Amino acid sequence: MSQQPIQLPLPGFEAARVRWQGEYDQQIGAENTRRNRSGVEIQPLYSPADWSGGRYLESLGFPGQVPMTRGIYPSMHRGRSWSQRQLIGLGTPEDYNERLKRILDAGGSAVSLIPCNSVYRGFDADQVDALLLGTCGAVVNSVDDMDTCFDGVDIATLSTAMNDPLPFTLLALLLAVAKRRGVPWSKVTGTSNQSDYISHFVANHMFFRIALPGSRRILVDHIDFAARHLPGWNPVSVVGQHMQQAGATPAEAMGLTLSTAVQYAQDCIARGMDPDTFLPRFTFFFDISISFFEEIAKLRAGRRIWCKLVRERFGARDPRAWRFKFHGQTSGVDLTRQQPLNNISRVTAQAMAGIFGGLQSLHTDAHDEVLSVPTEGAARIAVSTQNILREEAHLTDVIDPLGGSYYVEKLTDDMEEEIRAVMDRIEDAGGMYRAVESGTVQSMIGASALAFQEKVESGEQTIVGVNAYRGEDDLSMRAALSRPRPEVMQAQLERLARYKRGRSMDTVNAGLGDLARSAGSEQDNIYEKVVDAAIAGATHGEIVATLREEMGCGEPLVQV
Amino acid sequence: MRRAAGTGVSHAISPDNLLEALVNGDARALARAISNVERHTDAGRSTLLAIQPHLGRARVVGVTGVPGGGKSTLISRYVRELRRVNKRVGVIAIDPSSPFSGGALLGDRIRMAEHATDEGVFVRSLASRGQAGGLAPTATHIIDLMDAAGWDRIVVETVGTGQGEIDIADAVDVRVVVCATGLGDDVQALKAGILEIADVLVVNKADLPGSTTMVNQLEAMLALRAQEARDVDVCKTTATTGEGVAALAKTIENRLSTGESRKLRSQLRMRRLLAAAAGNLLTRRLCDLDEQWLIEICESLQHGEADLESAADRVLRSGRVSSDD
Amino acid sequence: MTVKRHEPPRVLVTKLGLDGHDRGSRLVAAFLRDAGMEVIYTNPWQEIAAVVQLALQEDVDVIGISSLATDHLLVPKLTRALSEAGLGHVRVVVGGIVPDEDERMLLEAGVSRVFHPGSSRDEIIMEVDGLARHARREGSDDRNGDSDGG
Repeated sequence: MSQQPIQLPLPGFEAARVRWQGEYDQQIGAENTRRNRSGVEIQPLYSPADWSGGRYLESLGFPGQVPMTRGIYPSMHRGRSWSQRQLIGLGTPEDYNERLKRILDAGGSAVSLIPCNSVYRGFDADQVDALLLGTCGAVVNSVDDMDTCFDGVDIATLSTAMNDPLPFTLLALLLAVAKRRGVPWSKVTGTSNQSDYISHFVANHMFFRIALPGSRRILVDHIDFAARHLPGWNPVSVVGQHMQQAGATPAEAMGLTLSTAVQYAQDCIARGMDPDTFLPRFTFFFDISISFFEEIAKLRAGRRIWCKLVRERFGARDPRAWRFKFHGQTSGVDLTRQQPLNNISRVTAQAMAGIFGGLQSLHTDAHDEVLSVPTEGAARIAVSTQNILREEAHLTDVIDPLGGSYYVEKLTDDMEEEIRAVMDRIEDAGGMYRAVESGTVQSMIGASALAFQEKVESGEQTIVGVNAYRGEDDLSMRAALSRPRPEVMQAQLERLARYKRGRSMDTVNAGLGDLARSAGSEQDNIYEKVVDAAIAGATHGEIVATLREEMGCGEPLVQV
Repeated sequence: MRRAAGTGVSHAISPDNLLEALVNGDARALARAISNVERHTDAGRSTLLAIQPHLGRARVVGVTGVPGGGKSTLISRYVRELRRVNKRVGVIAIDPSSPFSGGALLGDRIRMAEHATDEGVFVRSLASRGQAGGLAPTATHIIDLMDAAGWDRIVVETVGTGQGEIDIADAVDVRVVVCATGLGDDVQALKAGILEIADVLVVNKADLPGSTTMVNQLEAMLALRAQEARDVDVCKTTATTGEGVAALAKTIENRLSTGESRKLRSQLRMRRLLAAAAGNLLTRRLCDLDEQWLIEICESLQHGEADLESAADRVLRSGRVSSDD
Repeated sequence: MTVKRHEPPRVLVTKLGLDGHDRGSRLVAAFLRDAGMEVIYTNPWQEIAAVVQLALQEDVDVIGISSLATDHLLVPKLTRALSEAGLGHVRVVVGGIVPDEDERMLLEAGVSRVFHPGSSRDEIIMEVDGLARHARREGSDDRNGDSDGG
């Protein structure tokens, strides 16, 4: 809620302010109101009249202390830098393994696995047109494929962000590999990065595999399974990125994401889980646009809202539950194809906003990411950007350096108000699940997308190189496409065929049969059966097909 | 080699081939004939005349309902039932044109995705194009074209918001109105006219609480009617799972096979169509008339020197066409 | 901008392949409608055969394919299938993220135009309108026999 600025008894303040205003108006003349993407009005200047810090403990607090506006840990990036988790995924499991090893050699320990679009759609490689295989991510269908991905790598020392939506077959395959290698599951660390089926239903249809009611159940089963068997794994990542990329304003994206988290928490509580067991494992994933200050304020406001929410609404007592942990990715939507080197500047600004916003983990897009999977050179620059910001610009020497800025604090308050308004709308619609089922959320986002498009069309929002400052494209920067050669994919298909032939079909069918039955039984944990089926040798496509058969295929709500 | 114009070979259909191909069930010919009729071309008019001997086999079902009621999904499921018994199905999905731009967003095919590669299902999306005289003439012509092309069942889908449905009512054999549980509408709130014309009332989304209440409300409403107006079936469905759809299909089929109402309906339909067509003709005629004479007529109307009916009568009988011919 | 014509162009806006992002295609469908066109809109992941059947039944003039990943690689199969179905007069445009090498390939396969991010609304409307007129002329019944679109 808005903080009322304290009326300062400073003598001369008001007179000086009025004088400035007069001189400003004289110099500027008439001007239009400026608003940021979320609709908040932005003044040319902020002063103690807007925010004066009188309620420091209540509205800001120290890092690691309620309400955590300034950061979730006492030392933040000074103690431990954000993890640089670069996305990788291309071609075959061997290709993935090669890139993975290079990242690990360069000192990384946190990785992602981005599967091929065919995997996202729930298919094995032999179910889609071969032209589409491996162009945007790695083709991983079987436990052998997963084993190859991590060949020669100790999975117990790695943190993996598995970019695989519900029903999380890739994690199941990884657990099968761990079993094979004798690595205890307690050592398997990482995050189910794409567990947010609601955001997929709304804004990333490719990821939405199982119909809503089935998804709702499987997510809770997954959280429950992780609570019991995977102490190092975060089963929930609530994703604001998809909705913001689909056109939601930053305030909407945060409000909708928090509403989704509330929905998932309620579903877990309805299952009988104690908030202190599952809330500490909730993580978030945000798009960071180039609206610099707006993003910083959005993230700080989110932190504050979440902290209050989990304490007041869910009664969480474990401080780990109060911490708003999030990963940020610089927004690809702001990048342009024209004059692509400009994207390096854009990503730098976006990354800075994320750092000042206090993220825990950051992915910086490569400048050619807008065309296809990034080239190695571009990916290196993206990583260097983070290193430069941290070590040359010293951005992390001070925790929450913009704290106390009149503008940033006032904007954080304003953004909180906008975010809460969105959350109230969702509450009125009966909660996030009902709101997306009925299309309320989709309409909201569609309207914002259209509004932004109008601004770009009219020139009100400049995009350098596109609607202003146009010039010759940098010919030398036409990105070389890195696509798998047909022979390589053909070999992968053959390998899949051999794998399928070489297993015990009795074991596989028994596993899939159990999985199918669990869908119809309230008592079973479906995710447990997913993992069992993976261990029994079933492929990704087979597991997804079984669940689709029982629970319905995920169809997005397509509105015109 | 770059092809600047189109993607390749186009087999254009000449007018003579068109009719023959159409009555032989060629989908492309049907599509082209529909376009001709929509565009009011001479080819369209002559095709309509030529198909008269081939009409009468098809049975027509009109389905209407408010947005958000699951009507499109229900229709898709209903089509599935028809396909199960090997009926060839035509679907005419009507959406309003924008009054500002004249364009339209036609999205009804989205829910028909399961039939997208079934050659036994012909779906045509129609925009209302703001026609004077209502939608009935064009939609009726398209029904006839599909009939002539050998489609057994024709489903006409409209959005239940007003006049359009009542126009269509006469062009179909069975009128299905889809209400949905949980839309927040009381039965009372639904437009009275639409409920009046229904032969079958469907309460969709029957899995939601309140569906039984809605059925009860509808049946109570029906009980209040005069005896003759009570012959209405009430069905419950859950289109998303398909529950109740087979029963609905059977109910519709029963009504389709009672020949009696069809003949009567057909007569009434013809009369109304005649009136609508005459209306359209008159409207077009006004454009052809001598401008000065028209101004005089309108002024006499404005001054109360003549009444509308006699003025219209004069226009009809007159030969005073525009001198800029 | 509104297209001044008596008979509205009929345009299909759809997606092939695996990707499901529809922000772009929905915006395009909306402004084509505002420009006076009849836009048939589908869900993503359309099969080639389904698109051909739709184009045939709806007698469309132009097909707009939205592609953000690599799904545009399937478009040559679409243009071939349209040709084989006797729908060679139907124009195909592709909008979205298409690398230059792929653009060349698409144009050679019969695509009329590739729109990149940043293409203006008016540009798209004018192009689609022009293409629709060509398509309509070529596909009309006033010709006898076959017509070669090349």
